[in-house]
Amino acid sequence: MIAYLKNPLTTVWAILSLITVAAWLIGRNVGTDLQPSHAVTLSVLLIAAAKAQLVIMYFMEVRSAPRWLKRVAYGWVLVLFPLLYLTNQLVN
Amino acid sequence: MTISQVGQAPRTRADYLPGDHGMWFFIVGDLLIFGVYFLCYMVYRGQNLDVFLYSQQFLSQGIGVANTIVLLTSSLFVALATEAVREHKIRDAGRLLSLAIVLGALFPVLKMVEWIPKISAGHTPGENLFFMYYYVMTGLHLLHVLLGLCIMAFMLRNLRQAAQPDIKFIEIGAIYWHMVDVLWLVLLAVFYLMR
Repeated sequence: MIAYLKNPLTTVWAILSLITVAAWLIGRNVGTDLQPSHAVTLSVLLIAAAKAQLVIMYFMEVRSAPRWLKRVAYGWVLVLFPLLYLTNQLVN
Repeated sequence: MTISQVGQAPRTRADYLPGDHGMWFFIVGDLLIFGVYFLCYMVYRGQNLDVFLYSQQFLSQGIGVANTIVLLTSSLFVALATEAVREHKIRDAGRLLSLAIVLGALFPVLKMVEWIPKISAGHTPGENLFFMYYYVMTGLHLLHVLLGLCIMAFMLRNLRQAAQPDIKFIEIGAIYWHMVDVLWLVLLAVFYLMR
């Protein structure tokens, strides 16, 4: 079982966990009066997009899947996250 | 396709479809539906930013992050179990999948630890639009988690009881569980962390 620690998937998991903690440190709620922050929102959404892409590519194995599935799955990440950011910027 | 063929296919072919078309259509549909919910949430958030930011401070970011690590680790074990099945290491696969189930079962427990004090403090779905979205969307996701745990229990039974494990069934369950993970990553960002 120890051999699984050397599996590339374990490296992907370590990166996912590290950037999750990084996103928490960036978006951490330290007071009771939250102020809007484009920098925090952009960073948090970028990290979430990177994590979703890593899970889709490596855990869901889409990186070795047929082209149609790559287009659909990667397209979901590429369209959703910019739309979330733009909606946040434009609707007020 | 035999198990040995499947075992060799994913690492050598560039067009191997894990699971089957049916599960991928379901997953893509679910991702699109949740995508629309996320966008609706962002529109209402933009229109009621003060209320949403005020309400957001009552969420337990620590539990949200802990649940993220729980799901990511559970997903890792499922992915490793899938590889182990392909390499005919059925005993290893069973152990890895058991670990994935135990970790996955922690998610609903932590969710209750998060929800119960909030509801007791009066932060119910009826309080405002933020909490309505929060409970509906994390609740829908929780249903996905519970369904995933049931599927993984059947995967484990298949590994332990079948003469030859059904690799396609294992893959179908695995990609479903990873999708549950992906949805949570977005929920963490838009409900707990962004401002």
